[in-house]
Amino acid sequence: MRRPPEPGVVLRRRLAQTGEVIATLAVIFFVAFPLVWMILAAFKNQIDVYSTRLLFTPILSNFRAIFADPILLGSHVWVSALVSFLTVAITIPLAAAASYVLARHRFRGRDTLFLLILITQFVPAVVVAIPFFTLFRTLNLIDTPWALIIVYLSFTLPYAIWMLRGFFDALPVEIEEASFIDGCNELQTLRHVTLPLVMPGLLVAAVFAFISAWNEFFFALILTRSNSLTLPVAIQTISGPRGPMWEQVAAAGMLVMVPILIMSLFIRKYFVEGITVGAVK
Amino acid sequence: MEVPRTTPELVAEPVPRAAPAAAHRPWRPQSSGLRWLMLGPALLVILATVIYPLVTSFITSFRDWRLINSPTPGPYVGVSNYTRAFTDAGFLNSLGVSGLYTLISVTLTLLTGLAIALILAKPTPLNVFARTLLIFPFAVAPILKGYSWRFMLNPEYGVYAKMIGEVFPPLKGYVWLGHEFSALVSIAMSEIWGWAPLFALMFIGALGAIPAETTEAAKMDGATSFQIFRRITLPLLAPVIYIVALLKIISAFKMFDQVAIMTGGGPGDSTQTLYYFVYQVAFRNLDLGYASAVSYLLVAIMAVIATFYVRTLMRGD
Repeated sequence: MRRPPEPGVVLRRRLAQTGEVIATLAVIFFVAFPLVWMILAAFKNQIDVYSTRLLFTPILSNFRAIFADPILLGSHVWVSALVSFLTVAITIPLAAAASYVLARHRFRGRDTLFLLILITQFVPAVVVAIPFFTLFRTLNLIDTPWALIIVYLSFTLPYAIWMLRGFFDALPVEIEEASFIDGCNELQTLRHVTLPLVMPGLLVAAVFAFISAWNEFFFALILTRSNSLTLPVAIQTISGPRGPMWEQVAAAGMLVMVPILIMSLFIRKYFVEGITVGAVK
Repeated sequence: MEVPRTTPELVAEPVPRAAPAAAHRPWRPQSSGLRWLMLGPALLVILATVIYPLVTSFITSFRDWRLINSPTPGPYVGVSNYTRAFTDAGFLNSLGVSGLYTLISVTLTLLTGLAIALILAKPTPLNVFARTLLIFPFAVAPILKGYSWRFMLNPEYGVYAKMIGEVFPPLKGYVWLGHEFSALVSIAMSEIWGWAPLFALMFIGALGAIPAETTEAAKMDGATSFQIFRRITLPLLAPVIYIVALLKIISAFKMFDQVAIMTGGGPGDSTQTLYYFVYQVAFRNLDLGYASAVSYLLVAIMAVIATFYVRTLMRGD
């Protein structure tokens, strides 16, 4: 028979539990508060945004304002979307084909090739930026979406190959071998067996490529002037005489942030792993 | 324990696939034509977007090329762009800034991440809810990290500045981005906020792999919580800590976005990181030869860190 614990023990346990809850709440505050505060600011008027009161009357006019003004965000949403989608659309098929071969075929130099692709992830963007800047000047590609798409491939492609190879490696070879025995050739097997099985991987790689293109700032700053600014660069133009117009910056920030947060929720399972592959860029 | 795929062991020695133990029929098709057809496009793009600029940049780093004077590259000047860097106060300053920034941000991110992981280690419902939030900050665009911290640290209306002022009255109205050291720390804060939750996620994964019997047995033997942490938890976390530290060090040396948004390199040149310095030289001063040389010095620094790191890790195994 268990004796009831002594009152002192109970108290100590209660205190410890309370302490744990407070600590967790502190973590939640640390992680979520900057996001919440920015999101709230997007719904504030010019007076409320400069106050730290929690109560205010939410408004939607900031979103109207950033879309109404043509030099603000209206067109840049499209540039951002176009650049990100095309980057993904080019990256994924090329990466899928390459990583399939790297995972399934054996040939001399395969591991070296793979290592070289990994190493490209360590190349700092500034090194790449200087030659592209001069090249695009000569080709008159500065301030076009194409310049950004080409440069973005320099990090999305090696990174997608890396990620997808992992997904191909995780598939048991036997499934494909069974398909060969049934008389399919390699391309048929790839199309009807392997690719459908690796679909989650393609989706995850696509989301990561999208996020990195959508959030990218450095290249967009250098390679665009006015016509093809992406959202992260265009946000800088939202400033008045006293610095950024915070209520509009926050509204634009939500446009940048919300699609990405939703996507990251979808691929939550792969998030950490994916970032450790790609974060070095 | 789940180790991410970029572990340096993988770099040093690619994992042997398909253990030969299985005696079943080997993988059949090995059409080399198809192989290069499928690899080719990706390799061409990597060649064009990574290798081409790397080589061009390297060549440019030995030339004098100021875009203001001439649209075409000037004469070769040997290593003078490199030697110039080491007498250039601006470069030396940015080297110091990047070093200090890396030290601050890596240390604080690791400590914060570890603290979050230990707090959320127990799978209570509240903790599990908190864990789902951890993936968000990293996904936020770096410029938004910069904007939100700049907003919240503003001495007049920033909510964090006000909170700090309430708790430590001497800091009331302190201009966080207006003083050399605190500006650098503020930039680091935006990155700590972005990265520490991610680290915590990885640490939680590793903590979950520690068998409960180990810590219980230690407790029975009279070990204090600190001893358990020091002798059991920390050594088991060490491989993960190494990996995330490498990622963070490399990312810290690439700090650019928040500097551009929060301080523009100031006050003075106190937050002028290496990346920002190269940006200034290349795209403001348009001194492409010198900028290429400095960017290659950055490559060299990263190569040293990566190599040193891989060695340390391999010795640890």
